[in-house]
Amino acid sequence: MSHPDRRRFLELSAAGIGGAALAGGWPATAYAAETSPFKPEKGATLQLLRWKGFVAKDDEIWAANTAKFEKATGIKVTIDSLSWPDVTPKAALAAQVGSGPDIIMGWNDDPFVYPDKLVDMSDLADYLGKAHGGYFDTARTYCYDPEVKRWVSQPIGVTGNALVYRKSYAKEAGFPEFPKDFDGMLKLARGLKKGGHPCGFSLGHAVGDANGWTHWLLWGFGAKQANPDNSVAINSPETQHALEYAKQLYETMMPGVAGWLDPNNNQAFLAGQCGLTMNGISIWVSAKDDPKLYPDTANVLPPIGPSKQHTIFNNFTSAFIFKYSKYPNAAKEYLRFMLDTAQADPWVTGMAGYVTPALKAYAELPVWTSNPNITPYRDTMAGAKFDGFNGKPGKAAAQALDEFVIVDMFADHCVNNMAAKDAIAKAEKRLATIYKR
Amino acid sequence: MVLRRLRVYVPIALYAVFLLLPFYWMLLTTFKPDADLLKTDINPFLIYHVTVSHITGLLTTTQYWQWFANTLFVAVASTVVSVFVSYITAYAIIRLRFPGSEVVSTAIFLAYIVPPAILFIPLATIIIQLHWFDQLWALVPIYATFLVPFCTWLLIGFLKNIPRELEEAARVDGASNFAIIWRIIFPIAVPGLISAAIFSFTLSWNEYLYALVYMSSSAHKTVSVGMITELIRGDRFQWGELMAGALIGVLPAVLLYFFFVEYYVAGVSGSVKE
Amino acid sequence: MTERAPFLARLDSPRVLGYLLVAPAALLLLGLLAYPLVLGVWLSLTSATLGDPGQFVGLKNYATILQDPIFRGAAGFAVLYTVCAEIGKLTLGLALALLVNQRFRGYRAARSLMLLPWVAPTVLSALAWLWLLDPQFSALSWLLIKLHLIRSNIDFLGNAWGARFSLIAVNIWRGLPYFAIGYLAGLQGIPKDLYEAAAIDGASGWQSFRRITWPLLAPITTILVAFSSIFTLTDFQLIWTMTRGGPTDSTQVFTTLAYQRAITGGQLGEGAAIAVAPIVFMIVLAFFVVRAVRER
Repeated sequence: MSHPDRRRFLELSAAGIGGAALAGGWPATAYAAETSPFKPEKGATLQLLRWKGFVAKDDEIWAANTAKFEKATGIKVTIDSLSWPDVTPKAALAAQVGSGPDIIMGWNDDPFVYPDKLVDMSDLADYLGKAHGGYFDTARTYCYDPEVKRWVSQPIGVTGNALVYRKSYAKEAGFPEFPKDFDGMLKLARGLKKGGHPCGFSLGHAVGDANGWTHWLLWGFGAKQANPDNSVAINSPETQHALEYAKQLYETMMPGVAGWLDPNNNQAFLAGQCGLTMNGISIWVSAKDDPKLYPDTANVLPPIGPSKQHTIFNNFTSAFIFKYSKYPNAAKEYLRFMLDTAQADPWVTGMAGYVTPALKAYAELPVWTSNPNITPYRDTMAGAKFDGFNGKPGKAAAQALDEFVIVDMFADHCVNNMAAKDAIAKAEKRLATIYKR
Repeated sequence: MVLRRLRVYVPIALYAVFLLLPFYWMLLTTFKPDADLLKTDINPFLIYHVTVSHITGLLTTTQYWQWFANTLFVAVASTVVSVFVSYITAYAIIRLRFPGSEVVSTAIFLAYIVPPAILFIPLATIIIQLHWFDQLWALVPIYATFLVPFCTWLLIGFLKNIPRELEEAARVDGASNFAIIWRIIFPIAVPGLISAAIFSFTLSWNEYLYALVYMSSSAHKTVSVGMITELIRGDRFQWGELMAGALIGVLPAVLLYFFFVEYYVAGVSGSVKE
Repeated sequence: MTERAPFLARLDSPRVLGYLLVAPAALLLLGLLAYPLVLGVWLSLTSATLGDPGQFVGLKNYATILQDPIFRGAAGFAVLYTVCAEIGKLTLGLALALLVNQRFRGYRAARSLMLLPWVAPTVLSALAWLWLLDPQFSALSWLLIKLHLIRSNIDFLGNAWGARFSLIAVNIWRGLPYFAIGYLAGLQGIPKDLYEAAAIDGASGWQSFRRITWPLLAPITTILVAFSSIFTLTDFQLIWTMTRGGPTDSTQVFTTLAYQRAITGGQLGEGAAIAVAPIVFMIVLAFFVVRAVRER
């Protein structure tokens, strides 16, 4: 069967599976109002603020699903979108002034920064969890607040981080298969540099990329930022090892990575200059039109380090409802609808790997196995840790992440040639101030 | 003779390169396919394959026209309001001796010092209470807060240089102060007013932070905000469209300046004469 | 003689009319500027975080930031950034003004085109500069390599000092038209006969500049520098777009740090203190400027 035919075949089978899984089915449009425990308020209208989809299909399908919801319930939903790093400040402003969108799709620790301003989402989270196979661990960490013993946000998923590399250059460097451990990866990096296609990982204030690989590396060596009681734990021999490794890796990297913001590694890779980087699936998808680059590009889960487990850092997105909203039940019903099989299946499939859902059932969708370059992204949530690991999600972890404390620690050692001890001490001092509050 | 020409044209050329290079880059990027931006083996200063897809993409798939109209509306309205308010304030401070005019004058100058980058949070509470959030016209009084101080200063300087004899003569003829302000002085102040208008228009057109924070629906966005929030998808910047929008966005101000730069110069000149 | 109702006559008196005319500006600035400013100062005296008004803590936030090496670095760079950029803008702007003050073919076009950097929205021209200074794709590096002046691409933004000077250069690029047009106006106000007299006395071009031009431009210099430094010291968008304060906080300034601490970090009290710090500095500076201007 030719490639496009096989894809269509899988899509149709998925429709069959989806239809069997829930009364709604796909692409059938029966609205399961009677079975939903969330009864929208009369005359409700909703305003949703979400981040601009990383790919046009995301916004298109989300809008189409929203239109379905409007048609079925008569509830008008306005969607406003912002660039993904701009959602957090807008949400913070809404929390501060007590007015704004009803639902916000935010990132990482957002809901833990102002949990008392948010509606209790336990009923929705439990309902969806039961219906769709439960959640991955980090979803619970980011959305269930153990201090107040309730879900403060509805998990949606992550924009997964995996490694993307050039197969032919890796082969030249002696790695027909991607290395399985950190030592192998360093050897590969050295080989890539010798071959003229070095790796590149941002050490600048790139909100997504710089945090992605530095946290992966830090945790990969068994180091951590904080302990479960939120005491600072960065000063350890493991952190030292992570820094030393990073320095060696830095020496094989392209020039200028310390000034890289989020688009730089995409551009360097797509130009054929970079042989290896960490990113979401966007690089591989953008390469689609390049007949030389596309077949040579591969995505793979990052290797495991001395900590002997996957330690990926993804950007986690969840939806929270503010207490000032006049229509919390309508909001919950909207979210239930959007994350339900009939709507979420086409959404996840259409995005082809951009967002890895938090609900385990959606990991079974055929889209994940339709191409070996999409499969690694399916597993980015299962192998993830959360920022501030192993402390508690909250204001301190959010502030540490936003201030690039970990990234700057790595950059200080690699780029500014600060001794590892001093870089760690500087980070420790800053973390102590942040966590003291 | 030749030396004199060289002494003028060579530095002008150097300045032109420095000042206009980024705009040339915007032009290149607008008409280049995005993939060509990443090719390092070809001359980046030339376009090898011209494409208009960025321009058509910008104008048809985004709400660019709406943003452009919004920005134009806000810029014109805040200019009119600010120049009007600044004119009457400047006249009052300079000509009508009333107790406290010194204080007002200093206070207005000091008003300039406050950075919007932080003011926007406490200001947000006020905007919400006034129910001005996401109301496009609300940007007009908000922008006036940073336009009025400079324009007032500019007009104070300008009005200072208008001889008092004109007003005295008018007063002898029985004109009220009110009439003097509008019938006598206003026409003479036109160059200064145009300068203030051009300055206000430019600053409003380019404002980003307040428009980003206080407007939320796409239909109310301004050009800068709309482009940054909707043409950047995750880590993929739609460079062609962004630069196309930047170029088109610069046109109104350029046109304005081309026709009025002499007035602007005369206005500023008039306001600093001793 | 026209008859006027006594009420209108009273309204027309300098005193009443004066208050009436400044009322709109006063209302506007008090309501939308002074009041939020006071709120901002108040915030800086509390332990407010996002969503929690906190309690009054006096000057504690100021003490904290003064001990914070990142704040001290940001303050230092903000001042360096401002001083270097102002000197650059002043000298280059003045030189440009002197150039375009002459009549040559295309002087009108020159006078309007030179304003482009100041006229374009900062956030968009910053993006164009990101490309021109890109470590992999800079057209400038390409050109310099082709001219055999350098061997490999310049790393403009990937190291502390490179990033700092790149930002200063872009700020100068953006602001010099403002100085140029201001000085152009000032130059046109200088009577030509002064130069003729100096020429008769045998003064060189440089001497005329030093003895006539520069002193007569002093008032406009003061005003241009005063207003421009305020903008530069509190610059936000340019730096945030190009480096976000990196690498390793080397390009943080007051506003970027305040924004980061207050919004993304949730520390409103501390962020407000960082924002208020330069205001105090500038009020002192402004006081001296106003006095100097008044004395002339």
